[in-house]
Amino acid sequence: MQDFLELAVGAAASGCIYGLLALSYLVMIRPTGVINFAVGEWAMIAAFAGFLLLTGAHWSYPLGMAAIVAFMLVLGWATERIAVRPLLDAGAPVLAPILALLGMLVVFRESISLAFGPDPRQVPYPFGFGRLELGPLAGSYQSFFMIGVSALVFGAAWYFFERTVWGKCFEAVALNRRAAALMGINLSRVTALSFAAGSGIAGVAGILIAPNISAHYLMGVPLAIQGFTALVIGGVGRVEGALLGGLLLAFAEQLTVRYAPVPAGYAQGVPLVLLMIFLIVRPTGLLRARA
Amino acid sequence: MKSIALGLGAAIALSALAFLLGDYHNDVYRKLLLWIALALSYNFVFGICGQVTFSHFAFYGIGAYAIVILLFTAAFPLPLAIVCGVALCVALALAVAIPATRLEGFYLALATMAFAQLFIVVLNEGGAITGGTGGLASYRLPPVLGLDLSGRAYTVVIVLVLIGTAAVLRRVDHSWFGRACRAVRDNPEAAAAMGVDVARTKVIAFTLSSVLAGIAGMAYAFVDNTVNPPIFGLENAFLVLFMVIVGGSGRHAGAVVGTVLLYLLPFILSPLIGQHHALVFGVLMVTAILLQPRGLIGLYDRLARR
Amino acid sequence: MSALLEVRGLSKRFGGLTAVRELDFEVRVGEILGVIGPNGAGKTTTFNVVAGAYRADAGEIRFAGESIAGLPPHRIAARGVMRTFQHNRPFGGMAAIDNVLVGAHTRFRRRLWSIVLGGAREEETRQRERAQELVQFVGLGEAVAADVTTLSFGQGRMLEIARALAGEPRLILLDEPAAGLTPAECTRLADIIRGIAARGIAVLLIEHDMHFLLALAHRVVVLNFGAKIADGLPDEIRAHPAVMDAYLGSHAAHQ
Repeated sequence: MQDFLELAVGAAASGCIYGLLALSYLVMIRPTGVINFAVGEWAMIAAFAGFLLLTGAHWSYPLGMAAIVAFMLVLGWATERIAVRPLLDAGAPVLAPILALLGMLVVFRESISLAFGPDPRQVPYPFGFGRLELGPLAGSYQSFFMIGVSALVFGAAWYFFERTVWGKCFEAVALNRRAAALMGINLSRVTALSFAAGSGIAGVAGILIAPNISAHYLMGVPLAIQGFTALVIGGVGRVEGALLGGLLLAFAEQLTVRYAPVPAGYAQGVPLVLLMIFLIVRPTGLLRARA
Repeated sequence: MKSIALGLGAAIALSALAFLLGDYHNDVYRKLLLWIALALSYNFVFGICGQVTFSHFAFYGIGAYAIVILLFTAAFPLPLAIVCGVALCVALALAVAIPATRLEGFYLALATMAFAQLFIVVLNEGGAITGGTGGLASYRLPPVLGLDLSGRAYTVVIVLVLIGTAAVLRRVDHSWFGRACRAVRDNPEAAAAMGVDVARTKVIAFTLSSVLAGIAGMAYAFVDNTVNPPIFGLENAFLVLFMVIVGGSGRHAGAVVGTVLLYLLPFILSPLIGQHHALVFGVLMVTAILLQPRGLIGLYDRLARR
Repeated sequence: MSALLEVRGLSKRFGGLTAVRELDFEVRVGEILGVIGPNGAGKTTTFNVVAGAYRADAGEIRFAGESIAGLPPHRIAARGVMRTFQHNRPFGGMAAIDNVLVGAHTRFRRRLWSIVLGGAREEETRQRERAQELVQFVGLGEAVAADVTTLSFGQGRMLEIARALAGEPRLILLDEPAAGLTPAECTRLADIIRGIAARGIAVLLIEHDMHFLLALAHRVVVLNFGAKIADGLPDEIRAHPAVMDAYLGSHAAHQ
């Protein structure tokens, strides 16, 4: 039991990261139907920005983080403007922006690789390496930090979709683009906003996970896959689903590594097997969208 | 009759080229031919049937590893190894495609992406069987019918694999099945109303394309006499997708043009951008989708029409 | 004449809304059956249930004596029931003649493995000739090799019909074929539909335009609010008080 509780905090922290990535996909998929595989590369870019500002230029953590998030919002907006808007405006099928974003994935990855080289880059821990004990639960400061920040982001997202007018607009566009446009909702603005937000959320995930795994030009695709596995498990319809999916995925991974009689390397296979199982058995995910 | 003559002519011309090239260029040439075969088969499932998949290189790898493992670890005779390798590709393709095509939208793409990653994990963790991260090496193709097929002679084998792949795809494309695939691509609901079993069409197209990739993989295994995981990953799956789109998806000529261009480009560009040619591929891909979705072939058509 | 398509007790609900309620009708061999009704009467829902796009909640649908209820659209097409779409759905990546050839999908006999070995040529040629004939029949002769995206709306409509006919159906379902056509195109459409019936193919024609349908159909079924309110010969329907009511009723209520 003690064992499990020790594992729990770390798993919850990983789960939050997967959940954030799933949330990133979700805010873009809902209004546009576009699956943006480049979310992993966005997280990677934020991690490298962290390396530049925090390790390289020694900015204070809060200022650095704020600057990175702001930069990611702009990057998301720019990505949408370049690779998505022209296609949606021209009436292209939703596959076109999905493929264009795949091209952008490669562009992002190679640009970073060109700029920073193949070696992993260190990003500092905001609270150092220490461990914290909260009653029976124990984990690193970073794990608690991840959980805390993720809770804030999820809280804000939930509030946005459930309680604000803009959130209702998003829902309206998600349900029926044409009808929403006829009702006066500015589709371009919703799309731009959704990509900016998606990038910001992915960026937060990147900054949070960077100290643990270091910024590296290949970190994007595995994160992207873990993110959409979490999304498929939780269901595309609800913010809570993204978090639930992330947590389930992380716990499944950790429990497999810890207790299953297979070599550790196979842990990477867990999200993949889970994804395939869910696609076959329950593709709509665990939580249904509100009617 | 005409197409047999054409095929034979192409086989002779392409083989002759092998004998004219030096060793280094011959190596590049063989790999180019295999990439063209892969692009043609990928074009069938993606450009003609409209299904986005990411497992093409996984099947290339399944074919390659299967033939090496069956020939040398399991000591099968060559014909049996080939048949078993093909059967394995068929079984895995059906296992992935049958459940995934029951669903709408992008699920086949996601399932194949997961399958491709899973294949790499299995290769890396496969211990002695797959050779782990280092892969398998130091084997040689045994004599076939008494002939030692190495060097230039092996290039002829690859030419035959390419011509065979192209011939099968061409035949299938010009049949009612090819038309059914295009119908599924263009309007699945109308296709169903016309009697096309949409799910079955997708499964067959995917399986055919994956088996052809697997056969190319078997040929690949003896090019460098080594197989290792990185080649069969998602990187190259994205790349073949880019090649087909830049060249012109849906058209066989487009797949060829796109592959030749993107395969040879790094050799021309490496003085400028070193190893980062993928950056150029990404840019070309985004440019193609934004400006010329019908690819280079579409551009050629447009100019030719003037 | 015997019933080719029999629909008994058909009901379809969408959530709380009953779109079609206890509907009975039949289409006889070689006849043109018209189904009319005001907007929202349940015509399109009925059409889509028969075509297999929707699943009925209750009732029986028999074609040539065998139940087709619950079959997916492609199997219904294989049985000999072909349909057109109200909002034209051509296959944009193919020429007009190839669109028609997709319609003939269920008529091809060659197995795939035999195609790989090279046996497709003959059947292909034969079907292509048939398709050419159909293209001429609907008046698209000059556009046979055209890219379908260049066709006019009316031409696209004719292509839909040629494509459905390519499947050699015994029953063809036409979903508001006159919608959006010019008067001249409507006249040609009426001739084509008569030509189809003359070939022995039964026609189930859904139409909102009463005038067009009453001049063409052999028998008429009238729907309102999901139920049948009248059925009979066109002349009977023309003078039927319940039909007048249904079409003019809401209009009168607003006076």
